[in-house]
Amino acid sequence: MTLLQVDSVSRRYRLPRRALMRPAPVLTAVDGVSFTLARGETLGVVGESGSGKSTLARLVMGFERPDAGRVLFDGQDNNDLPPAALRAARRRFQMVFQDPFGSLDPRRRVGWSVAEPLRALKGTEDPAPRVAEALEQVGLRAAHAGRYPHEFSGGQRQRIAIARAIITRPALLVADEAVSALDVSVQAQILNLLMDLQEELGLAILFISHDLAVVASTCDRLLVMQGGRVLEAGETGAVLDAPGHDYTRTLLAAARL
Amino acid sequence: MIAARGLSIRTGAGHAAVRSADLAIRPGERLGVVGESGSGKTLLALAMIGMVPEGLQVSGEIAVGGTVVAPGDEAAWQRLRAREVAMIFQEPMSALNPLARVGDTIAEPLMVHRGLTRSAARAQARELLEETGIPQPERRLDQYPHELSGGQRQRVLIALALACDPALLIADEPTTALDAAVALRITDLLVRLARERRMALLFISHDLAAVARTTEAMLVMYGGDIVERGATDRVLADPAHPYTKGLIAARPSLAQRGRRRLPTIPGTVPPLEALAEGCRFAGRCPVELPRCVHLRPAATATASGSAACHLLGAAP
Repeated sequence: MTLLQVDSVSRRYRLPRRALMRPAPVLTAVDGVSFTLARGETLGVVGESGSGKSTLARLVMGFERPDAGRVLFDGQDNNDLPPAALRAARRRFQMVFQDPFGSLDPRRRVGWSVAEPLRALKGTEDPAPRVAEALEQVGLRAAHAGRYPHEFSGGQRQRIAIARAIITRPALLVADEAVSALDVSVQAQILNLLMDLQEELGLAILFISHDLAVVASTCDRLLVMQGGRVLEAGETGAVLDAPGHDYTRTLLAAARL
Repeated sequence: MIAARGLSIRTGAGHAAVRSADLAIRPGERLGVVGESGSGKTLLALAMIGMVPEGLQVSGEIAVGGTVVAPGDEAAWQRLRAREVAMIFQEPMSALNPLARVGDTIAEPLMVHRGLTRSAARAQARELLEETGIPQPERRLDQYPHELSGGQRQRVLIALALACDPALLIADEPTTALDAAVALRITDLLVRLARERRMALLFISHDLAAVARTTEAMLVMYGGDIVERGATDRVLADPAHPYTKGLIAARPSLAQRGRRRLPTIPGTVPPLEALAEGCRFAGRCPVELPRCVHLRPAATATASGSAACHLLGAAP
């Protein structure tokens, strides 16, 4: 069943003017991209910096509005919703970023950061049991809620960021380079955690990465992006066995041992 | 030849960050150093150019082309740096002076170390940039670092490192901040330069794929110890040390299609003070023996080189 439908979305940014009398140049960061994502499925998006993959993530998350096209979540276009309703809808899709240290407030206890999405929903229930549950789901202990981010290793901080993302029991997780900054042995642990949570919670994952090997071993299907467009898309095995573009072949060469 | 013998680095508190490392690189040889954070690979590299941060104690000896240099002999290192040993880093932006034109940055060591005139140094800088394959080398001379892309900046740093024709180039994670396609071109460039100049290359990376395509021989480090060494392709195909095995298995591979759980190494790299006195991998090793915690294993010959593991030493 389709959870997320992205329908020929484009996003353009106006660049600084170069000359007073000429129109400002425009950068098309995402250019007519379409895909669907079903419940429990993982879609990989690969591309280099500037390919538009992070802008695509921001469009899916509703952080930005597309200039053209639609992003439908459970058939509903989030951009049609008034701000309060969009905030409430956001519990159903959450994001994990590359740098867990940058996304956790260093002066707040971990429990406070993990509970943040619940506060945004303005619920009245005590967040503590939910925080404890989320921390345990990601392989940490409930007691870790009382500690500060600097007391944790990089891999543990990424677990904390994942706990914060799943505390609202989302249907979709957008992981933007979520394992790129981690050592190989820790990266494997976090990838396994994401796959476990996916099975437990029926999560759909939009997995954004520049590393084709990581995408190959975690994703059902993949999109290869360059310059804001989708170069090719398909089942992971099919794309890897018969890449249709030189760029995909370059990514393959870079990931080969 | 450039060699380190019994090189150890200790923190102020006395914890060993590198334990009696031996390595040697000959002209034209490309040696990879693989390890995760905390493995000591960057400290080992910094010791090879006499740049270990203050507060750490270095012991052992380093021989550069037959001359033995004491680790703390700053005057000797100043003579050797640039001419004998040069280094490039992960983040090319922070290693370049943002206020200086690229041409002036590269010309400076040529004037200081080689006594070239300003115009001769500029001509040489242009040639060096051309050698790194940067497009439009003439135009780059008058540009500032912020006007260049990440890959172009890394090429400028390589040109700068080559300025005094070093016998050894140390590259510490030179491709980590770059996109895949750019990273491929930079490693190709390093291989070509090592071949054409008969320059030794010490290539440090956590990226096994980058090490595989760049180097002929490799060292694997864990917790400050060199745990395995040998020909790169053979170590990767047939690792002997339990840590090397775990590291290669944990790496996602193109051969695995669709969702598959990855084999993992349990736990995380402990802080230096918590590492075992014996084998550094003790506590996380899946095939640990009782003696591993307190007795440091000696290097034992393997099919691809050597590895320091008690399981290899004593045949059952």
